[in-house]
Amino acid sequence: MNSEHKKEKNTEKPIEITISLPTQAYFVAGVRDFTLSLIKNTTDFSEQWAYRFQSVVDELCNNAIEFGSKQGDSIKITFIVIEKESIEIQVEDNGTGANKLKAAEIEKLIKERAGKEFSLHEIRGRGLAKIVLEWTDELTFTDKPEGGIIVKVKKYLTDIKTKELKQSMSLAGDQTHIVL
Amino acid sequence: MPTPVTLTIEDVQGDANILLKIIKIAGQLDESNVDEEAKKVYELIEQNPSKLNLILDLEELEYMNSKSIGYLTDWYGKVYENGGKVIIAKAKPNILDILEVVGLTQLIKNFPTVEEAKAGLSQ
Repeated sequence: MNSEHKKEKNTEKPIEITISLPTQAYFVAGVRDFTLSLIKNTTDFSEQWAYRFQSVVDELCNNAIEFGSKQGDSIKITFIVIEKESIEIQVEDNGTGANKLKAAEIEKLIKERAGKEFSLHEIRGRGLAKIVLEWTDELTFTDKPEGGIIVKVKKYLTDIKTKELKQSMSLAGDQTHIVL
Repeated sequence: MPTPVTLTIEDVQGDANILLKIIKIAGQLDESNVDEEAKKVYELIEQNPSKLNLILDLEELEYMNSKSIGYLTDWYGKVYENGGKVIIAKAKPNILDILEVVGLTQLIKNFPTVEEAKAGLSQ
């Protein structure tokens, strides 16, 4: 079982999964569970990053439901996993929502919010500007010609591994220095 | 249809000079349920406008989204303005991680037990 699993995991071919979701917040809980399982079971990302991506996906889906697609419509979520390299997530709305925004407008909002300290009384605004921005390496918004937006986020495993390695080398260096 | 979550408020008897309530949250706080659950805490704050201390027991909280973090900061602001404190107890690592990324752990302390959180109120 283990060797078969290992053989499957070692494939270089990306795993691509697309889910279409009705625009109801309740269904996003299922996508969160799926995200956690997918990252834990098919990538080399740590459990901490699996939980982080659960939040990233949740925030992107909620954003698409609130601003992108009207009630009764749908959003599309695509996961592209390369086991030892990266995870990419795309969330696509149809631009039918009453509060719809263009890609440039969302980018402007994020820039404004990312730089400032939040007042205690602000309930909204931390999702994209703090959580998604902080926990991803790439974040892009693209207007679809037929209406709607595609939000694409990507996280590279190599960057995390390099940081962890540097950190452990630095710690090991400190220990050696103390011993000497 | 909301995601399952429970928010219960418990009175704590003890020091007559300290008004303390423990809020236990279990399950997942998300877009489907957080507005409804938050009302209970706002009612509690309105009923106890002065020197209310809150310990949020998050041992059984599995998930919280950005909006629920927004409510938490708002509760903190309202309680703090009126001379009270808000403290977190027993939060899971993933909950602490998301609170940290938005900078909330600088404002609200987390303690590993409710007893330590109670002691933390006097610090």
